[in-house]
Amino acid sequence: MAVSVTPATFVRLKLRLTVNGLRGQTWRVALFVLGILLAIGFAAGGYATFAVPGLLDDNRVAEMLLTLGGAAILLGWLFLPLIFFGVDESLDPARFALLPLRRHTLITGLFVASMAGVPAVATLVATLGMVDTAARIGGPAAGVAQAAGVLLGLFLCAAVSRAVTSAFATALRSRRARDLATVLLAAVAALLGPLQIAALAGAQHADWDRVADVARVVGWTPLGAAYSVGPDVAAGRWWAVPVKLLIVLVTLAGLLRWWSATLERAMLGTASTRTAAAGRTAAGREPVGRLVFRWLPANRFGALMSREIRYWWRESRRRASLITLAVVGVFLPVMLSITGGGAGAMLTFVGALAAISLANQFGFEGTAYAANVTAGVPGRIEVQSRTAAFSVYILPLLVLIAVVVSLTAGRPGAIAAQLGTLLASYGVGLAVVLPVSVLGAYALPDTANPFAMSSGGGMAKGLFTFGALIIAVVVTLPVTLAAYLLADVWLWIGLPVGAAYGAIAYFVGTRLTGDLLDRRMPELLAAITPHR
Amino acid sequence: MSLRGLVKRFDTTVAVAGVDLDVPAGSFYGLLGPNGAGKTTTLSMAVGLLRPDFGEARVLGYDVWADPAAAKRLFGVLPDGVRLFDRLNGAELLAYHGLLRGMDPAVVNQRARELLDVLELGVHNKTLVVDYSAGMKKKIGLACALLHGPRLLVLDEPFEAVDPVSAALIRDILQRYVAGGGTVIFSSHVMEVVERLCTHVAILAGGRIRLHGTLAEVRGERSLEDVFVQVVGGRTATGSELAWL
Repeated sequence: MAVSVTPATFVRLKLRLTVNGLRGQTWRVALFVLGILLAIGFAAGGYATFAVPGLLDDNRVAEMLLTLGGAAILLGWLFLPLIFFGVDESLDPARFALLPLRRHTLITGLFVASMAGVPAVATLVATLGMVDTAARIGGPAAGVAQAAGVLLGLFLCAAVSRAVTSAFATALRSRRARDLATVLLAAVAALLGPLQIAALAGAQHADWDRVADVARVVGWTPLGAAYSVGPDVAAGRWWAVPVKLLIVLVTLAGLLRWWSATLERAMLGTASTRTAAAGRTAAGREPVGRLVFRWLPANRFGALMSREIRYWWRESRRRASLITLAVVGVFLPVMLSITGGGAGAMLTFVGALAAISLANQFGFEGTAYAANVTAGVPGRIEVQSRTAAFSVYILPLLVLIAVVVSLTAGRPGAIAAQLGTLLASYGVGLAVVLPVSVLGAYALPDTANPFAMSSGGGMAKGLFTFGALIIAVVVTLPVTLAAYLLADVWLWIGLPVGAAYGAIAYFVGTRLTGDLLDRRMPELLAAITPHR
Repeated sequence: MSLRGLVKRFDTTVAVAGVDLDVPAGSFYGLLGPNGAGKTTTLSMAVGLLRPDFGEARVLGYDVWADPAAAKRLFGVLPDGVRLFDRLNGAELLAYHGLLRGMDPAVVNQRARELLDVLELGVHNKTLVVDYSAGMKKKIGLACALLHGPRLLVLDEPFEAVDPVSAALIRDILQRYVAGGGTVIFSSHVMEVVERLCTHVAILAGGRIRLHGTLAEVRGERSLEDVFVQVVGGRTATGSELAWL
C-alpha cells in the first residue's frame, strides 16, 4: 500500500482545493475569472515591457530594465502577500502535521504546489519577455542564459514569499506580537508608496549613469542576479553567468532551509503559550464607566460608539488600516506638492480613501455582529455610531493633512479651503461606502495568521475599494471644480461649502443605509460568517 | 416559544425541513440531536439571526420576524460558534450588551458586577475576552444573555467545552432561573445533562423533530440514550466489522 508521495500529489491537491473552493459560488468564480484576466494583463504588459530593450537593441537599457525590473518583481513577491493579498493558505502546513511525511517530501511538495498558481504563471510569462530581449541582443546563448535566470528567479520569488510568510506566522504566535507586527508592517507598507514617488521624482532629475551604477550593483545581489545574466552574456561577460547563478542557487537553498525550519515550528500549531494575564485588574470602576467614554452619553449610541472607538484601536486589522491611511494620507499630497504637482485633486482622493476603510466595516468583527442583531439595534443608530466613531480618528487627521499640505505648498491661507475639499470628499465617500458595507460585506477568515485572506477576498477588497473610490471622486467633482474655478473666492467659502456638501451627502447616505440595514440584518450576518 | 413549519435550505442541502415546536412557559426544554441535525439552524431562525425560507417563530405571542423589536426584548440568546465582541474585557462587554438593550446604566452596573462575581470571571479583571479560555467565553456569553432579565433563554450548546465545576454552576443558575418563572430552551447532545435538568425534550434529526414531549413521555421505561439512538437510527457495533482492530 505504500504509494510514494511525489510533488505531483501536492499539485493535484492544490488544484482540487481551488476547484472545490469555487464550486457553487458564483461571485467567487467571477472574482477568480477577474483575477485571471488581471494576471493575463500583468503577464502581457510585463512581457511587452521587458521585450522593449531587445527591440531597441540597446544592451545598456536592457541591463538596467531587466535587473531593476526583476528586483522589483522579487520585492513584490516578498511584500505584497504580507501587506495586501494575504497568503494562499489552501495548503496549510499545519494540516500535514499528523501525516507520516518526511520534511524533505513536504517541502518539495509545498514548494512545487506554490508554483501551480496564477501569480507564479503570470510572473513567469512576464519575465519571459527578458528572454526575448536577451536573445535579440546577444543571440541564442544569451537567451538560454537568461531563460535559466528567469526560471531560477521564479523559484526564488516563490521561496522568498513562502519562507517569509511562514517565518512571520510562527514568530507571531501570540496575539500581542501579532497585533504589533501587523501594525509595523502596515507602517512599512504605507511608507513604500511615498518612497517610490520620491525615487521616481529623483529618477526624473538624476542622470542615467547613476541608475546604471545602481543596476550593476543590484545585479550582484540576490535581488537582481538571476535576471541580469542575459545582458552579461550580450556584453561578453561570460564569467559572470556561473557566479551569478551560484549566488541565486545559494540564496534559494538558504531560503528553503529557513522555510523548512520555520515550517516545523508552524506545524506544532498555535496551541500553548497562553500568558497568564489574570494579574491585570482595573481600579474599582463601574462596568458602564469602563466601556463608555466620559464625554459620551451612557445609552445605546454611546455604547456602540465607545465600542467602535476601542475596536479601531484594539483590533489589529483596523489599527493597521488606520495607520496605513494616516501615512498615505499625509505623504501622498505632500509629495505631490513638493514635486510641483497640484495637490488639490489628490485631496479629493485622500478624503474618499479615508471613507473606504469602512467598506467592509461589518466584516472586521465577524460573527460578533450577531449580538447587535439579537439586541435589535436600529439600522440608523448602528450606521451613525460607526461613522461617528471612525470620524473621531479621521477628522483630526483631515485637519492635519489640510495644514501640512497647505504649509508645504507655501499657502497657509488655503488651510480652511483645503479642509473644505477634504470634508466634502470624506462625506461623499461615506455616503458611497456605507451601502457597499451592507450589500457587499464579505467574511474575513478567523485564523491565527493575520495575513490570511479567504480566496477571492483580496480581490473583492481591491475591487470594492476601486469602484467606490471612483464613484466618490466623481460625485465630489462639483466641489473640486468649484475650487479650481473660484480660486480666490473659494479660499473664503471653501470650508463652509465643502463641509455642507459632505454633511448632506453623509446624512442622505446614513438614512438610506440605515433603512437598508433594518431590512437586511440577517443577510448581512450570513455574509460575514466565515464558511466552515 | 412556538415554531411553525420552519424550513431552511442552504444551496442544495436542506438543513431544516419543517420544524414545529412548542416550548411551554416555565419549562426547561432540551433540544437533542446528533451533529448536523439542524439544532443551531433551528435556534438561529427562532431568535432572528437566520431568515427562514418558510415558517414562523413566535415568542410569548410576538412574531420574531414580523415584529422583531418587541420579540427580541423578551429573550436572551447564547449562540454557539459565534464570536463575542472579544476585544472588550468582561465588564465592558456586559455594559455594552446592557446599554444596547436600552437598560438604565445604574442597573447595568449593579447586575454586571453581580454576574461577574457569581460566574467567577472577576469584576476587576482587565483581560480581553479574546484571551479567555473556552469555558470562560461560554460563561461571559451566558452572562450577556441573562443581563437584561429575559423571560426566555435560548442557549445553543451551553455546556460544550465547559469544565465540570463551571457546568455545575451554570446548571444551578439555570435551575434557579426556571424556578423563578423563566423558560429555558437549550440544545445539546449530552444525554446526562438533559436527563438531569429538563422537564421537556425534543429529538431533532435530519432537519425534523422525531419525538417530543415531557421527559417522562419521551423516555418511557428506557434510558434517554437508548431512545435517542433508536430514534436517530444509529447503529451499534455488532462486533463483526473492524475485526482488524
